[in-house]
Amino acid sequence: MPEIEIKLKVNGRAVAWRIHPGETLLEALHAHHLRGTKLICGTGDCCGCGVILNGRSINSCCMLAAQAEGADLLTVEGLAQDGKLHPIQEAFAEEGAAQCGYCTPGFIMRTYAFLREHPHPTEEEVRAALAGNICRCTGYVKPVAAVLRAAEAMGG
Amino acid sequence: MLKIAAYHSPLLLAEAVSLLAEEGRTVIAGGTDLLVNPRYMVGVREVVDIRKLGLDYIREENGWLYIGAGTTMRTVAGHPKVQALADGILARSAAVCGSPNIRNMATLAGNIASALPSADTPPSLLALDAQAVLVGIQGERVVSLDSFFVGPGKSVRQHELIRELRIPLANFDRLRGGFYKIGRTAEDISIVNAATTLNIQDGVIIAARLVMGAVAPIPLRTVQAEKALTGQSPTEETFQRAAEIAREEVRPISDQRASADYRRRMSGVAAVRALRQAAGLAPHGEEWHHA
Repeated sequence: MPEIEIKLKVNGRAVAWRIHPGETLLEALHAHHLRGTKLICGTGDCCGCGVILNGRSINSCCMLAAQAEGADLLTVEGLAQDGKLHPIQEAFAEEGAAQCGYCTPGFIMRTYAFLREHPHPTEEEVRAALAGNICRCTGYVKPVAAVLRAAEAMGG
Repeated sequence: MLKIAAYHSPLLLAEAVSLLAEEGRTVIAGGTDLLVNPRYMVGVREVVDIRKLGLDYIREENGWLYIGAGTTMRTVAGHPKVQALADGILARSAAVCGSPNIRNMATLAGNIASALPSADTPPSLLALDAQAVLVGIQGERVVSLDSFFVGPGKSVRQHELIRELRIPLANFDRLRGGFYKIGRTAEDISIVNAATTLNIQDGVIIAARLVMGAVAPIPLRTVQAEKALTGQSPTEETFQRAAEIAREEVRPISDQRASADYRRRMSGVAAVRALRQAAGLAPHGEEWHHA
């Protein structure tokens, strides 16, 4: 299968990746040692593979890597700065908003996109914003608390 | 990894059209259906991305509202003109299509191209008398959505791309609308959905459309129910009678989401609730609500 090259920005760094035309963005991330973004359903139903593409939260499992040409991509690895966790990560840890933790990166990236647009969310808005993120440990209460805590910490 | 041998991202419509003229190629936009549903990849070896063709627009021109094929569900759901059209039924159905992450990628035109009977937006588009502008190697043709859908996942589209959807605005000031979705949650695929538009003048319905989703092989206009609405006053009694007729018109199947019998019953419920919205008769709790 022929390989193609794409140029994009990943977590602030310009990169050129060799990819296959049929590779999903999620597969390309994993192939380039960015494994924080998780494969869970692989069908766009759970938002576990959420990343930020040009400022919008999207599912990396149902997009081709080739479609990310020229994009500005942020993954969960790009949140912490100088060894210091992002306030959203801090809030998820403080609230204990993870059980098995597999869906957590997706929750955190969705939260990142959401809080940028809604810095002062109500609990109802938070619930609607996270409605697509599926946690099979069924821990939904603490992520909502974590998002509200993060909003406050970020000064909203 | 999907078995895709080549990815094309043309910058010109003409280039996209000639690429699509060959067998084994299909259109990709948001990719949220194409890449996860094997039915769309049968016989496909190459994909043609239409997102760099400049088709991400919503504009009003000569009495039509044009929605380009690159326009995402998120943009449609948030657009003021779409929100103002027939009580915002199209914006509202786009707002419940999948999760926020899906709506950031998925396009309105893609929801039409996928041609799934359970899709959220086709009933609203049909209720609004929308048309699809298709472009192929032979040229351009305009197809009313009334004759676009053929069966589950099948439409009249052949080696063509949808360039845009267009909605007539002739009755913009008079058209009232309703949309009601029954699903496990707003994000889930519909068990039944209903969209309606009513043109009410001097207390009489002079034109009506009532369209049901997930209850037939295609998004279904319940034409007998529409006839029963026309010429009547927009009252609870009229709506109950129309809903009863709609319930007889649907042709539901049983699947993992609901039985055929449940779908038939809920067709009447969804229809009457959509109709009440259009007439401003929705009781507390049945009004449109989306956080």
